[in-house]
Amino acid sequence: MGDFDFAIIYNNIPFLFEGMKTTLLLTVAAVIGGIVIGTVLAIIRIANVPILAWIAAAYVNFFRSLPLILVIFWLYFLVPLVLGRPVGAFSSVLIAFVLFEAAYYSEIIRAGIASVSSGQVAAARAIGMTYTQCMRFIVLPQAFKAMIPVLLTQAIILFQDTSLVYVVGLKDFLVSAELIANRDQKLIEMFMFVAVVYFTICFAGSLLSSHLQRKLST
Amino acid sequence: MIHLKNVSKWYDSFQVLDNCSTSVSKGEVVVVCGPSGSGKSTLIKAVNGLEPVQKGEITVDGMVVSDKKTNLNHLRARIGMVFQNFELFPHMSVLENVKLGQIKVLGRADDASEVKAKALLDRVGLADHANKFPSQLSGGQQQRVAIARGLAMDPIAMLFDEPTSALDPEMINDVLDVMVELAHDGMTMMVVTHEMGFAKKVADRVVFMDEGKIVEDAKKDDFFGSPRSDRAQLFLSKILSH
Repeated sequence: MGDFDFAIIYNNIPFLFEGMKTTLLLTVAAVIGGIVIGTVLAIIRIANVPILAWIAAAYVNFFRSLPLILVIFWLYFLVPLVLGRPVGAFSSVLIAFVLFEAAYYSEIIRAGIASVSSGQVAAARAIGMTYTQCMRFIVLPQAFKAMIPVLLTQAIILFQDTSLVYVVGLKDFLVSAELIANRDQKLIEMFMFVAVVYFTICFAGSLLSSHLQRKLST
Repeated sequence: MIHLKNVSKWYDSFQVLDNCSTSVSKGEVVVVCGPSGSGKSTLIKAVNGLEPVQKGEITVDGMVVSDKKTNLNHLRARIGMVFQNFELFPHMSVLENVKLGQIKVLGRADDASEVKAKALLDRVGLADHANKFPSQLSGGQQQRVAIARGLAMDPIAMLFDEPTSALDPEMINDVLDVMVELAHDGMTMMVVTHEMGFAKKVADRVVFMDEGKIVEDAKKDDFFGSPRSDRAQLFLSKILSH
């Protein structure tokens, strides 16, 4: 370990930080987009809206049957074709993540909504609330509270999965580190550092998730 | 005020309500009793359309519950309902529970709703608990909040679905006291319960159900004095013998 070159990490912090910013931005935007679309999909399926419910189910099953890396790759070529203009790697990747994650989030949210007892719905309807009011004020707040640990776990998985953007050459944290590693022939240092950073963030997230799980279940 | 005419309901091929007819007049207190599985909970939930029925007609204050043109939300806002398991909203304080319907459904102003909610909580003896969450209250206290939540909508009638069945014995009387007081104030009430003491004290009529049918629908004194059906006699002998 005497040869371990800490300076290579230290000297490249600003460059690596830029990569981490892309990784985090992608994670946060994909989590938000995925939860919003996932909630819509879940409600359409639970309310059993004719035709739409079938389409939503097909959507969820379609994306859950594909490897993420394929979706990223496809949309990199598809999005510019559909829009008729180049959009850049970040936008196409973000769209891919939102579409993909929405399928997973919708299943989590569907389970969360189902966990709210039917008696709560009856009580809300009995005081004259509409279906929408009942969802908004009674069911969803309870469902999301119960779901927070699972949503967080899914966000951690998503954070790890963002490293797949290397296939389209987007400069995230991993790709930035790899560039330095290859340029300066410091593969061990850089990949050790990357591993430590990913591990620390994900492990902290897991601890937070299980802490919340315990706290919310009491 | 509440009329049920030849009401029938099936779950798939299983008939839960079989040609049920009865009514509750304004200011009347009607107790519905019978063995478990007799359909009494289904019957009371049919009154505000929480359980749709396939046959027969239910009218409340002249509005037909099963008519597609009837605005059920409107109708439900005018009928209070109390459930066996209280069903307070656990993510809101007691005060918010009693305010929510007033604000979101009746469109009442926040301050007016608060005044009303506090007055009702005071009436059910829980003014000091307004800012607690439901999980911090005992079952009996939660059920009294649920009654206040129903009353906050200024209902024309109150439905009670086994309001004391989930309670510890020492809590039951607190809830029954509130209900007796309501009855004395002239509230129109339909109450599914096994509490025959309550029925004897305030009921005008008793409806006895068995296997989805209304077997007996009699004035209180007639029901307790000399029930006509064997089934009702057997039921009474079982629950009154202790």
